[in-house]
Amino acid sequence: MLTIEGLKKGYEGNEILKGISIDVNKGDVISIIGPSGSGKTTLLRTITTLEAADGGHITFAGVDKDFEKLNGKDINTIRRNVGFVFQNYNLFNNKTALQNITEGLIVARKVKKSEAEKIALDALERVGLSDRKNHYPSQLSGGQQQRVGIARAIALNPEVIFFDEPTSALDPELVGEVLKVMQDLANSGTTMVVVTHQMSFARDVSNRVIFMADGHIVEQGDPKKIFENPSEERTKKFLTDILANV
Amino acid sequence: MSLNTDFMVKVAQTAIQGVPVTLQIVLVALLISLPIGVLFALIRIYRIKGLELIVKFYVSLVRGTPIIAQILIVYSAFPSLLNMMIGKAAFSINPIYYAYIVFTLNSIATLTEVFRSALQTVDKGQMEAGLMVGMQPRQAFWRIILPQALISALPNIANATLYLIKNSSLAFIMSVKDITAIAKTEAAFNYNFLEAYLVVWVYYLIICYGAEIIFNLLERYFSKYRRSAKRTTGFNWNPFSIKQPKLVVKTDLAESERTNNAHN
Repeated sequence: MLTIEGLKKGYEGNEILKGISIDVNKGDVISIIGPSGSGKTTLLRTITTLEAADGGHITFAGVDKDFEKLNGKDINTIRRNVGFVFQNYNLFNNKTALQNITEGLIVARKVKKSEAEKIALDALERVGLSDRKNHYPSQLSGGQQQRVGIARAIALNPEVIFFDEPTSALDPELVGEVLKVMQDLANSGTTMVVVTHQMSFARDVSNRVIFMADGHIVEQGDPKKIFENPSEERTKKFLTDILANV
Repeated sequence: MSLNTDFMVKVAQTAIQGVPVTLQIVLVALLISLPIGVLFALIRIYRIKGLELIVKFYVSLVRGTPIIAQILIVYSAFPSLLNMMIGKAAFSINPIYYAYIVFTLNSIATLTEVFRSALQTVDKGQMEAGLMVGMQPRQAFWRIILPQALISALPNIANATLYLIKNSSLAFIMSVKDITAIAKTEAAFNYNFLEAYLVVWVYYLIICYGAEIIFNLLERYFSKYRRSAKRTTGFNWNPFSIKQPKLVVKTDLAESERTNNAHN
């Protein structure tokens, strides 16, 4: 459904992504793990065209092109078919929880207001926040904000939702509620690509784990295999380091 | 020395005709310079080639010269320029138009800087979130970025407006019949300068106070989405209560209390 080949991206001569290829199938829940600075976030941002890539090919939602050749129309198509959940939520501060969700539907998808509100309420219901629909982001806790962020992404019914470290900015005791929502989503068949430091999520919820380091995909495969029997030395070291802290 | 109160009442009655003139100058200057200020701020933020340099130069030019010099230049340059173009009719133009020009040009420079800083306070994640729900950059700007920037700009716009109100008193130099000009004329007739100026003083005070109230209401209305100021501790903005809230730190919390409190 989504295929990326040889994706490259650098900043000022500093190469962050050195040719990444991934394949996302419908219903996949893919966790991307790896040390900080390995390019995980940049990968999501380039796939979703938030950042321009320097090279590579994308096949997604009818677009089949090299990244450099994407025109405005292609970029619109890609953006309309992805959802994005940000590390720091990025809810629209001047909109209520409900408006945060209806905004994209009404403005970008031209859905009627009444219908958009119905969709938004459903989405809020799914993340367990229908009673907070008229709250502004500043009146919500971090966990609640992130759940609204997730609701905003699912309301658009995208082909795939990207999560950029969705729990990294949260207080430890709020991580659980967000992971729970993500698990429910995964179980309902939503296609998800998740950059995460939550090893439990990667291990228990995803059906594929990608380990990235220094702009390369070092290893990918079944979570069980990656966590219990990684074939690369680099993966083994990362997992030992990170699991020692859990 | 005693104040001639009868004269003050008389000046107050005549000078009140200048109030609409003053307000007119302020409103025209504000209404024109607000959108242009946003535009110029955007030119600076997005570093649009060529234009950026012009805006920068313009802002320095206006901010680096006293308003009285700007008034004198516009008031001597424009009539003779117009005279060349449309002939004698140039001299019968109501001088208030020159006031509009000076104060608009002046406010544009101030507001450009106000909006530049306000737009930069809006996190760039807001734009990205807009793009990721499928909005065009233009849509995200109008619906998400600008409303937030306007609110953080409000206190500074209020500030600029107050300066504008007070600066407009210099319009008398261009023989505009505003509050100051009328009071000065009255005073010159009767040699009661102090009385006349006290009246002027009170009028500006009232107008500025009114503007302050309006801006306060606007701020309160539009920042409903922000965390209310009451919840903050530390700096107490209310000038009348000098007492600072006392901060108490409980160090002997039980584990359960600790987790309960952590949710807030």
